[in-house]
Amino acid sequence: MINLIADLGSGLLGKLVRIGQALLMLLQATIVRPKASSFSRLIQQLYVVGVQSLIIILVSALFIGMVLGLQGYTLLAAYGTEQAVGQMVALTLVRELSPVVAALLFAGRAGSALTAEIGLMKATEQLASLEMFGVDPLHRIVAPRFWAGIISLPLLVAIFSLVGIYGGHLVAVDWLGVYSGSYWGNMQQAVDFNGDVLNGMVKALVFAFLISWTAVYQGYTCVPTSQGISAATTRTVVYSSLAILGFDFILTALMFGGTV
Amino acid sequence: MAIDDIINIQNVSFYRDDRAIFKNLNCAISTGKITAIMGPSGSGKTTLLRLIGGQLNPHEGQIRLFDQDIAALNRKQLNQIRARMGVLFQSGALFTDLSVFENVAFPLREHMHLSADELYNKVLLKLEAVGLRGARDLMPSQLSGGMARRVALARAVAMEPELILYDEPFAGQDPIAMAVLQRLIKDLNSAMNLTSVLVSHDIAEACAIADQVILLGEGRVLVQDTPAALQASNDPAVKQFIHGEADGVIPFHFAAPALQQELRGGSE
Amino acid sequence: MNKRWLELSVGLMMVAGVAALVALALQVSGGNMSRNAQSYAISALFENAAGLGPKAKVTMAGVTVGEVVSVAIDPNALMAVVNMEIYGQVDYLSIDSSASILTAGLLGEKYVGLTVGAEEEVLVDGDVIEDTQSALVLEELIGQFLLNFGDN
Repeated sequence: MINLIADLGSGLLGKLVRIGQALLMLLQATIVRPKASSFSRLIQQLYVVGVQSLIIILVSALFIGMVLGLQGYTLLAAYGTEQAVGQMVALTLVRELSPVVAALLFAGRAGSALTAEIGLMKATEQLASLEMFGVDPLHRIVAPRFWAGIISLPLLVAIFSLVGIYGGHLVAVDWLGVYSGSYWGNMQQAVDFNGDVLNGMVKALVFAFLISWTAVYQGYTCVPTSQGISAATTRTVVYSSLAILGFDFILTALMFGGTV
Repeated sequence: MAIDDIINIQNVSFYRDDRAIFKNLNCAISTGKITAIMGPSGSGKTTLLRLIGGQLNPHEGQIRLFDQDIAALNRKQLNQIRARMGVLFQSGALFTDLSVFENVAFPLREHMHLSADELYNKVLLKLEAVGLRGARDLMPSQLSGGMARRVALARAVAMEPELILYDEPFAGQDPIAMAVLQRLIKDLNSAMNLTSVLVSHDIAEACAIADQVILLGEGRVLVQDTPAALQASNDPAVKQFIHGEADGVIPFHFAAPALQQELRGGSE
Repeated sequence: MNKRWLELSVGLMMVAGVAALVALALQVSGGNMSRNAQSYAISALFENAAGLGPKAKVTMAGVTVGEVVSVAIDPNALMAVVNMEIYGQVDYLSIDSSASILTAGLLGEKYVGLTVGAEEEVLVDGDVIEDTQSALVLEELIGQFLLNFGDN
């Protein structure tokens, strides 16, 4: 019994130590005066992290919007209120589905790739070699990837919402015959820019931070072998997905649950 | 300012977890020579290189590099020291997102403010020295293992260092690539007035070019001598390593209780 | 990878993201901005505020002019106090305005409807509307109807 408590204690302590390490790493990487060349490295990473995630984001957004349009229509038609489908699609997407689904896809697509790339650089001694050339790998490798993640995800989430709403329009209006005016009209009445759209973007920003942080930390600290890298990549996806869902509940409760 | 010993390792102890990798290690590497550090796998050869490069700090003792205690230096001073040394990593460690030319140009771009033409000429000369001027536009993924190591060598000497560290330069190379690397290491050492330290367990290749051999084992220096003296040595551990005997002072068996005690059944 | 194409595509992504946000602001939310910086608080006492809750709309002539902040009980009058925030630009509600609790459609949500009176003086922050009409409670309505039916 005493052993169990001791194990639990040391396990918890180990977790705290790792969180502290991760935070220090982040501070060391990001608190630095940017050089002229860091901008072109950021562009490079925005391409890898952001542009290359666009296809998966566009396709999933379209399908999720279409499914919402279809589900919403059948559900609401039972009460004769299918005109409200636009409002349902928009609110579901903007408040909840866009940030969460885009973030989960982003963690799988970009987060895992970041971890694997940094891990591989570590395994092939590229990080050590940078250090020997007097270049801090935290500034050169970790920082641009972290910032690229922070910048990309909110943009991708905005694109996700808009494409999803047009996907819902395609199904509900073009195929099932809801009047286009009520689709947009009901939506415009129900959706509030500050309360809904901006809160969704705040969620996106928080998720972007969680994913980028997890990905660069796991890559930077992985065991530099092939098993080590694959384990770190898995951890990035699992940890950031869990963090996204957990923080989504907290943020939703703070943003939309306050009036209860 | 000529120092006799470019690297001086004094009473260094280093632990990984609870295991002592080095215990009171003492040795010196003299300026202008090629020194081979040899020893069986796990004797801490690569760790020693990391210690010399300042990427790890010893738990006890000190390492003096260019007559300065590297553990006591701040980041800027450490980087100044590092600009005077080159490292050839085991895997080559070429930056995979840069071409051969850009890889060699990397340290020059970081530390020197050269004009475009000066930079171009300098990189081309370094590539010429390793015989890969024609490969300057290739990406690292298009190179064979031996070529990658030669590019890495060109990069390591780009800053014209005074000291160069080689981590297992011969590991996994075919005989021709090995001969090429041997020649390069020897030629560069005399042409550029370098001090070379190479960590290796390829005895024949290392002994052929080294002026000095340091044999590591059991966390300390077993012997430090010229290759010829080592070949003639009567010390059992030295003989075992040099002549490649499976069992001897360094045991074939990992430490374990006697076999009779571990086998199940019938022993009573 | 061509560097120009790389920069171009990153630029396109940034523009698309910002454009999507603008479209969300204009097309999807219709420029709705809540939390008007200048709004003022008024309240009204109702016999019965059944079904009315925070965030319910406050309208005048069918146009939203504010929202309900809270619904509580006044321990002295034993009536429901409905606290409302009215948008700052709606500064022409006379002090004899009346408030009633209305229902959007037969089963829809409850909201407050304001009707402006004839006085010159207008309601300001902290004022109370006296003239109110309570929520229609369907069960009471049916009860009354049955009672009248029985009398006949």
